[in-house]
Amino acid sequence: MSGSSSVARRQEVNFLPDINKPQKHSLAHGWTNPRSRLPKGNELPQQGRSQRPTISKDEIAMFRNSVWKNTCVEMLRGGFHRSFSELSAVLGRWKESRLAAGPGSVIWQQESLDKQPNKLHTLQHYLTRAEAAQRAGAWDQVYDNQLCLAQFFSEPEDRWLSHHFYQVSLASAQRFKMDGGQKEAEASANVAQVYMEQGQVDQARELYECLHQLTAGRLWSKVGGISLRSEACEGLCKVYTLLADGLLQTNDYKPAIKMLNKAFQMAKEAGDRRIEGEAAYRVGVAYQCVGDQEMAKRFLNMYMEICLALKDAEGQGKAYKAITKSLESEGKQAESVQCLEKYAEVSQSNGQQRNLQDACMCLGVACTSRGHDNRACTYFEQGYEIARDLGEVSLLQKAQVYLGSARAYSMIRKYSRHVETASHSDLQILIAWKARREDVFTDTTSSVTHT
Amino acid sequence: MNSMKGSKSKVLSLISTLNPLANPRGAKKLCELCEKPSYLQCTKCRVTFYCDSEHQQADWVGIHEKVCQLLIPIRTTVDFHSLQADRDNHCAQTLQRQEELIEISRAVAQKSLFEGKYQQSLPASQLSLRCAMNVYGPRALQLVPAYLLLAEANIGLGSLAQAEEYLSQAEWTVMKMPECSHTIRHQLHRNLGRLYAAKDNLEGALLHFANDVYYSCEEHGLENIVTCGGYFLMANVFTKQGKMDIANSLYTEVASTWHSHLTTLLDTHTQGSRMLPQLLDEAQQAEADQMLRAMLEIQESSPKQDAAQKVLVSHSLAMLWFLGGSLDKALDFGRQALQLSQLVPDHSLAEPIQILMQLAAERDQHPTNAS
Repeated sequence: MSGSSSVARRQEVNFLPDINKPQKHSLAHGWTNPRSRLPKGNELPQQGRSQRPTISKDEIAMFRNSVWKNTCVEMLRGGFHRSFSELSAVLGRWKESRLAAGPGSVIWQQESLDKQPNKLHTLQHYLTRAEAAQRAGAWDQVYDNQLCLAQFFSEPEDRWLSHHFYQVSLASAQRFKMDGGQKEAEASANVAQVYMEQGQVDQARELYECLHQLTAGRLWSKVGGISLRSEACEGLCKVYTLLADGLLQTNDYKPAIKMLNKAFQMAKEAGDRRIEGEAAYRVGVAYQCVGDQEMAKRFLNMYMEICLALKDAEGQGKAYKAITKSLESEGKQAESVQCLEKYAEVSQSNGQQRNLQDACMCLGVACTSRGHDNRACTYFEQGYEIARDLGEVSLLQKAQVYLGSARAYSMIRKYSRHVETASHSDLQILIAWKARREDVFTDTTSSVTHT
Repeated sequence: MNSMKGSKSKVLSLISTLNPLANPRGAKKLCELCEKPSYLQCTKCRVTFYCDSEHQQADWVGIHEKVCQLLIPIRTTVDFHSLQADRDNHCAQTLQRQEELIEISRAVAQKSLFEGKYQQSLPASQLSLRCAMNVYGPRALQLVPAYLLLAEANIGLGSLAQAEEYLSQAEWTVMKMPECSHTIRHQLHRNLGRLYAAKDNLEGALLHFANDVYYSCEEHGLENIVTCGGYFLMANVFTKQGKMDIANSLYTEVASTWHSHLTTLLDTHTQGSRMLPQLLDEAQQAEADQMLRAMLEIQESSPKQDAAQKVLVSHSLAMLWFLGGSLDKALDFGRQALQLSQLVPDHSLAEPIQILMQLAAERDQHPTNAS
């Protein structure tokens, strides 16, 4: 029966059946097949269908069903049940965290993953490829595909997906032993970074230490050319610094210094001078907190040298300032002023107005504490002028206050001298000052000192 | 055999002949199964008619024995009630009885299907379908379960054209009702998949099984034994296609799901609540047994045997039979699992197997405790 109908379809079909040449077939089953009782209605769509491309079941499904369902079915019919369950789990987790966050939160406003065809297709593509590789036992390809997924989701709202796939990829990389652990090292570096982003310092530390061991004596590098070894060292340096910061906040200086020393060692190993310098600076500052000025100066000088080598004026200034602090607490005032002068010099020669202003203020304070009021006044004036040029109100106000008090100090001695001697001329000067409220002492006294 | 003969003679004694020409005008008495003019009548209810004794017998065995008396109030015409309230009451009662009948016949059909008695399940599912049509109309969603039962029986019997017809009906009904539940969709697609697999249209079968898994996952969750059934059927299709790696991956999934399910069941069972039928009904038991055995056979026939998988499956079977109450089989499979587990590097399963064996041995010695 089907054969006869296909034959009929292949023949040229007229609008009305040919009267001269009656077709036996159509007459024969015209009564048995209820459909063929309506020749017009039956034949016309057939004719149309042969001209137009037919619509397959898949295309109908694509049109009728949601993107999510189509993606799932597409994966399942290929037998990719792990991909399906992974995708469902990921979506389920997103929904859970959305519910937990409640309406009004950021995640509540975001669009669900199953409404974004682009992301779904990417997920489908790489997940199925990873699963195919897993079936074949090629864990390196599994890892590669999962890494692709992790790198694909770089938008801030998709960070959690990226994190998830980095973690999954670590598990796959651990099962791949052919390369001596390079992929594992790479994966742990990624996951450790994820932990750092999430603020889970302890887990990050574990992973970085593991990575440090793995990369011992190896020259592995990532795709971008970054050496895994140095990444491990840098990461550890960061982790130790963070841990030390926590200790410093609770005033546990001894363990903090120990931790910072470790960080310094790691920074040294990482081979990045800048990081090494900063680590040294932190150690120095920590020693200052305990009062061990010798050690502090040693580390600060190290930092200074590195800054000199790197031509980092900012860093040099920072170093000078810190060293001054050490010298001051040791009581070496002359040296500390020298140091501050260097600070000012460096800042000036590099055009760092802000640092220069800071240096002037520090110098002014140092001079006041040693009783050199006039010098203090000039420093403060400088500082005031720079602040005015910078247009920073807070700095300006500070400078004004300092300058004012320094001037007052410098004046009060001369004023009291006049009051003490109380000769006629002194009294006249005092009256003149009272009347005009102008600085009359400086001129006269300066002429006196000059004479 | 004797009992069979006895029941046969008993069945034959239940019919009386009927002359169609002697029927009152307009009243057509049609055969319960084939709807042809009837010549026999059931003497117990007097409301059911048959064209020959063969159909009467099939109906008796299939469903009539259980519903004979229930049919009387539904099919006898009652006198006209003078009060509207009485009429309403009568209508409501009939409706309720018919709904009960639908449910009973559906359950009976389902049970015989799980036992593999396809022919026997046909009368019951037909009755269910007819009642549902009376109550809900010819195009209602409630007809779909009956259609699916009929289709499944027909696939089992190998009459695929018939099965296709029923499934097309079901599919059409479902398509028209977008609010249709996931359970029905999942069952529909599972049966469509079976049909396509039987017709050797493997790609089509895979598409339907994929839909089946999707819907059952929406309904029951991912790690569920119902969803697992879909995976198993899918794996069979992949085996037919010769894609053994995919099939194996699916079989592993099925095995581990059943294993974890049975382990939790065993835990709840040993912790005191001993209601077995509530834990796992007969149908599920039969399904699990069939699937796990099939997987064990596949493992044994495949060139590279996965011992871990075999341990998992035979342990599952041991648990299944322990829960099902047949301790000999449980011990058999347990021993097998224990032997195999020695070959596997991962020994985590050895301990639960031994515990199970001990439990089974204890039960075996004190059978009174078990019952």
